[in-house]
Amino acid sequence: MKKNVRLLFIFSVIFSMMLLAACSNNESKPEPEPSKKNSEEKETGESPSRMEINFWHAMSGAGQEALDRIVADFNSSQEKYTVNAEFQGTYEESLTKLRSVGGTKDAPAITQVFEVGTKFMIDSGYIEPMQSFIDKDNYDLSQLEENILNYYRVDGKLYSMPFNSSTPVMIYNKDAFKEAGLDPEKPPQTFNEVKAAAEKLTKPGEQYGFSMLTYGWFFEQLVATQGGLYVNKENGRADDATEAEFNGEEGLRVFNFLNDMNKAGTLGNYGTNWDDIRAAFQTGKVAMYMDSSAGVAAAVNNSPFEVGVAFIPYPDEVDRQGVAIGGASLWMSKGIAKEEQEAAWEFMKYLTTPEVQAKWHIGTGYFAINPAAYNEDIVKAEWEKYPQLKVTVDQLQQTKPSVATQGALISVFPESRQQIVTALENLYQGADPQEVLDQAAEGTNRAIEIANKTKK
Amino acid sequence: MKKSSASFYEKQSFWRKSLNARTALLYLFPSVLLFIVFVFYPMFRTIYLSFFLTDQHGSAALFVGLENYAYILESQAFRNSIKATVLFVLYTVPAGVILALFLALIANEKLKGIGFFRTIYSSTMGISVAASSVVWLFLFHPSIGMFNRLLSLVNLPEVQWLLDPDWALLSVSISTIWLNTGFSFLILLGGLQNIDGYLYESAKIDGAGYWYQLRRITIPMLSPTLFFIITISLINAFQSFGQIDILTKGGPSQATNLIVYSIYREAFVNYQFGTASAQAVFLFLCILIVTIFQFKFGERKVHYQ
Amino acid sequence: MSFPRKIVFYFLLLFSAFLLFFPVLYAFMISFMTGGEIMQGKFFPQTFTLDNYFRVFERLPLMKYLMNSFVVSTGVMIGQLIVCSMSAYAFVFIPFKGRDFIFFLFISTMMIPWEATMIPNFFTIQKLDWTNTYQGLTVPFFALAFGTFLLRQHFKTIPKELFEASQIAGLSRFAFFWRVILPVSKTSLVTLGAYGFLTTWNMYLWPLLVTNNDQVRTVQIGLKQLQSQEVATEWGVVMAGVIVVIIPTLLLLFIGQKQLQKGLTQGALK
Repeated sequence: MKKNVRLLFIFSVIFSMMLLAACSNNESKPEPEPSKKNSEEKETGESPSRMEINFWHAMSGAGQEALDRIVADFNSSQEKYTVNAEFQGTYEESLTKLRSVGGTKDAPAITQVFEVGTKFMIDSGYIEPMQSFIDKDNYDLSQLEENILNYYRVDGKLYSMPFNSSTPVMIYNKDAFKEAGLDPEKPPQTFNEVKAAAEKLTKPGEQYGFSMLTYGWFFEQLVATQGGLYVNKENGRADDATEAEFNGEEGLRVFNFLNDMNKAGTLGNYGTNWDDIRAAFQTGKVAMYMDSSAGVAAAVNNSPFEVGVAFIPYPDEVDRQGVAIGGASLWMSKGIAKEEQEAAWEFMKYLTTPEVQAKWHIGTGYFAINPAAYNEDIVKAEWEKYPQLKVTVDQLQQTKPSVATQGALISVFPESRQQIVTALENLYQGADPQEVLDQAAEGTNRAIEIANKTKK
Repeated sequence: MKKSSASFYEKQSFWRKSLNARTALLYLFPSVLLFIVFVFYPMFRTIYLSFFLTDQHGSAALFVGLENYAYILESQAFRNSIKATVLFVLYTVPAGVILALFLALIANEKLKGIGFFRTIYSSTMGISVAASSVVWLFLFHPSIGMFNRLLSLVNLPEVQWLLDPDWALLSVSISTIWLNTGFSFLILLGGLQNIDGYLYESAKIDGAGYWYQLRRITIPMLSPTLFFIITISLINAFQSFGQIDILTKGGPSQATNLIVYSIYREAFVNYQFGTASAQAVFLFLCILIVTIFQFKFGERKVHYQ
Repeated sequence: MSFPRKIVFYFLLLFSAFLLFFPVLYAFMISFMTGGEIMQGKFFPQTFTLDNYFRVFERLPLMKYLMNSFVVSTGVMIGQLIVCSMSAYAFVFIPFKGRDFIFFLFISTMMIPWEATMIPNFFTIQKLDWTNTYQGLTVPFFALAFGTFLLRQHFKTIPKELFEASQIAGLSRFAFFWRVILPVSKTSLVTLGAYGFLTTWNMYLWPLLVTNNDQVRTVQIGLKQLQSQEVATEWGVVMAGVIVVIIPTLLLLFIGQKQLQKGLTQGALK
């Protein structure tokens, strides 16, 4: 009896040991963990003193492919540093993980965070502003695209390195334009022109004139191009925003524009999934739609008809201001070793070189943050193949800098975008434009209020 | 023994009596430890956080008492989530169980090649939510999806499966039912095979038809299994998450924003642990109540052998 | 069975099988298509090209992911079997005070939504320094109320006389558990094992949270990496990934189908 009790005891103990095994040390881990911090000693092979840093990103699909190639190129281009590009799920999932290690030595040296996380990151205390390295290194910022830098520049300080940047564009089916008696080389520019064209392009049951992904970003852009603000306090750039302003006349114009087309049956609704709306366009179910500049090449490639690209429309009664950028930027962690920060800085400098940006632009369709990349031969060849790509760059470069086109800064942006999505969905179900906008603004205000209340 | 005093005897008996408890504890120790660390501790933490507003780092920052609960119960969005969850449970549980029962019945016949069919019917159990939802996304696709192509083949108007608020929840339910069929089927088939063949033989002698046998023998004898599968399906339906995330992200117009998804969004996207926690506690209470009801009233109808 | 009835049943069987298996078949077909073909919404590919499969394996360390998934799923399976059978044994064969209460506590854990406990658990794993380890991926799942419940139901069907006989024979409790109970409960154990294996294989969010790099990542994360957000997704490649991911579990299911179904029922009875 006793013997068996002991056996059971041992059984339990072994089990508990298993549970607690790794509390003490990493050495007992069953798998070889890539040595993060002490890589210098442990590194095997030819280069004994490589500094290893981690780079967390949220790029999947083609973006990840291009990114992995760039990182591999960087690692073989020099002998001092090794960058490990590590996928962390969607932007939201990645940010959740960063929150648990941010500001500690376990944080990755570089993290990719979406544009709407900018305000959160600045306030978080996790990060080292890019500006300190720019000043120290006398890095020439003027070689980078001004309209992209503007987004990430707060109080004259650049906080993060822009990375994958895109803007919205309007993509249209040239063949359908011809068929409807419209000039395929003169896409509609204003809200009214778009409405009129959509009317002509719509074939009930077969083809809708216009469509827009149900995504807050596009709404923000259509407000920004009118010079309208998303939130108060100069779009949150002068001080912490306290109230939403997107339910003013600019926002209402956008909602009315969409509502009119929806009521007239010329607007197709393809939901919140990028791939759905693209498939609809490529199969001829929609003649014009709003897409990201990063989707242009694929649209041209996969469509069995001629594809045109135009600037995003604006209301007839105002002047076009241009677009704010979207996408993500790279942030450098604070609280990690100096050497790691330096390695991160070297990698970022490498990223911004024209050659790398040229590859990035071609591989993904995102902008080159260094405009010199557009003079690279590979880009020229690509543009010859897809002349439509040039439109996207023109639109960005013709943007008039202002707080509107800089983009709003609020910490609860992801939540606010969700509110806009709901508002759009309700609008398409026949709700009143002003009412749904006000609801979205109310939801955003509550989120802002909580965020400001709990801010230390 | 005789020499031992009363008090000593008592002591020993207590020691003896508790022997069982102590041994049991030894056996239960791993489970209890794990439950405490990974279920009860986080649950209490969740309850604790539900009384606070949290800051951008996710820690409790401002005590607000029951304000989070008041807020979610008042908010239109959360009421909508409750409605969607209830509808979702109603759509998926009965239909799912009936479908699985139907499949189990036809696969319980002694026919040639029945093993092949059983394998096919149970196959969805081996397919992950992530993988299957991607496939369903394609089937539901508004322009190139198989369903709409079939509809237009027979000249019916196309349906905006995942984009029309009236359809979206139903579409998600269809894919959920499909996903759960394999598991329910396997359990029900097993239940059917455990029914004593003797019962059917005597029924046959009495000249009872197929439907009569089904009503009078199969269903009553199967009731414990049915009870089990209904309980599990209910709990699963309340906790469905993956398919929502991939198919609709809670849209359109919040039509598929089930409570679990709403919790995920509050916690992961909005980073409002306070309200997310309040919602989680609410959901827990709902499941608890439904399960208690299920045991109280459902089990009465169960026929035990 | 009469001939016309047979026809009816075969018709029903075939029809349901087709409907049920259609999504898998569809994914299988798409995995051989080119981007253009998919966009045209075809069902049969023009030519069966394996390009998508080559792309998948080229893009991701899929073999490694599959290996990791295998290790993690097996780990959870073994852990669950040990932990759950021990607790189920205590609930059935050791009478002690408060047994029902503790059992109720166990069952109540089934009702706690996993999403609600995930983030605190994530912090716990972080504090234990278990990120990027197999422990972090497996240990939280060892204790399973469903598994304890299932085994308890089965243990209950074992005649009490067996226990008495074993005591007369001088067998200790543990020996009884180890040499008598476990062997006679093989089907239930197989069932629980398969259940644990499959559910672990299919997890996504938790493995993503507790891993930062490819070292211990599982195959469902790989599937997510094939789909993009803003840049166009190559659906053929994604579907090839789906097929690669579901093949191991389907195989397992096909092989263990009979055992599985036998064992699952025992949990449901009584």
